[in-house]
Amino acid sequence: MNLVIIDYGSGNLRSVENAFKTSINNNNLNFKVYVSNNLNLIKDADYIVLPGVGAYADCKKGLLKIEGLIDTLVEKVIVNCIPFLGICVGMQLMAEQGFEKEKTAGLEWIDGNIEKINYLSKDSLGRNLKIPHMGWNNLNIYNKKHPVLENILNDEQFYFVHSYYLNTLKKDQILADTYYSHKIPAIVGQKNYLGVQFHPEKSSKSGHKLITNWLKWKP
Amino acid sequence: MLSTRVIACLDVHNGRTVKGINFVNLQDAGDPVEQAKLYSDLGADEICFLDISATNDKRKTIYEVISKTADSCFVPLTVGGGVNDIKDFRNLLNCGADKVSINSSAVKNPDLIKQAADKFGNQCVVLAIDAENNDKMNSGYEITTHGGRNKTGIDALLWAQKGVNLGAGEILLTSMSADGTKKGYNLKLTKIISENVSVPVIASGGAGSPKDMVEVVIKSGASAVLAASIFHFGIYSIKSVKDEMEKNGILVRKCQD
Repeated sequence: MNLVIIDYGSGNLRSVENAFKTSINNNNLNFKVYVSNNLNLIKDADYIVLPGVGAYADCKKGLLKIEGLIDTLVEKVIVNCIPFLGICVGMQLMAEQGFEKEKTAGLEWIDGNIEKINYLSKDSLGRNLKIPHMGWNNLNIYNKKHPVLENILNDEQFYFVHSYYLNTLKKDQILADTYYSHKIPAIVGQKNYLGVQFHPEKSSKSGHKLITNWLKWKP
Repeated sequence: MLSTRVIACLDVHNGRTVKGINFVNLQDAGDPVEQAKLYSDLGADEICFLDISATNDKRKTIYEVISKTADSCFVPLTVGGGVNDIKDFRNLLNCGADKVSINSSAVKNPDLIKQAADKFGNQCVVLAIDAENNDKMNSGYEITTHGGRNKTGIDALLWAQKGVNLGAGEILLTSMSADGTKKGYNLKLTKIISENVSVPVIASGGAGSPKDMVEVVIKSGASAVLAASIFHFGIYSIKSVKDEMEKNGILVRKCQD
């Protein structure tokens, strides 16, 4: 199997690559991992990961800069239906529009827009809620039978760092959410494509579990 | 709900972990790569490397340390010390750092905060502030640079707020008078900064026992607690710190087996 982690000038590529390789090795999975923006390689991919850190508008510009990249992603993910995972801003790019810095069109694979977290409240200790939402948080999993989520326990935590979130009315696209000031979609998607707001590559053993599940996923 | 983070900090000098009191009298405390892996396995929520190497030449060893650590450590990794420009940011991120902390160079050139935040995102820029008591300042604290050697005449709170406006995503706040003393965090300093900036504040300097961690979270509102010496010398484990926090109603991430 070929796994391509898309390199479009954004993201902690080395961390993502390391984490996926470790999950592959620890579970004796048969994958070749490429970090690349070469369209021919992407066309041959069996699994695709779109990472992303930084501002939404900048990440979108990064995608657009590589001629033919978005068309190739659409062909692979929407037409050929291969497994896809968007991470953090990579997940947010799947939405309709982003509103960080400037209004930016997304890929429109899922409904909803990327908006600033409303944080004018306090936590249970009376501390002001801070932005970014930074640190380890729980998931509230709606679809425990989903192959990528079936062995994830309720008290496991994942590492989040973001100031914007997916605001959507289409609840059936939300596989899990987390809570920070309000409900925040943590895992979204449908069919063969998923997006995670948190960073599985930085989420220790829980992250490896989720990555391994995704690598074994045959949607 | 969001857990309060417990961060293990490694002061790295020429590729080795060291710890002194008030930034002097350095003692060898081990191999940073092994320690980072151990701490992350034992439940540290983040690892922080502070490179205090004396020369630029020796500083390059930190790249190797970070690369090796990033290969085996799957929690967020912050690296600071000797970061002067965007190129340093990029080099550290390419080695596998998730966040970069800046201190003296940001005071000298505040625009570096903005440049880095624009380029790599706010989440990547940690503004490290070393503060010292000074009654002449409105907040009661002055920032110092170069490991506490240089006074700046800049008010710590005004600087923190300026840094956040320029794009810092987090503040790593060290009390110079408390650092390495194991007598507890500076509660007043942490409270005044924490309550008056919109980004998370990491309390640093002075942790001597798990009770100190509880106190700085509950009384001063710190978003995260950082410690070095008490972990290196095996005085307390990450788990004992988290157990004490949990006992006091602070949510923490469970240490996994």
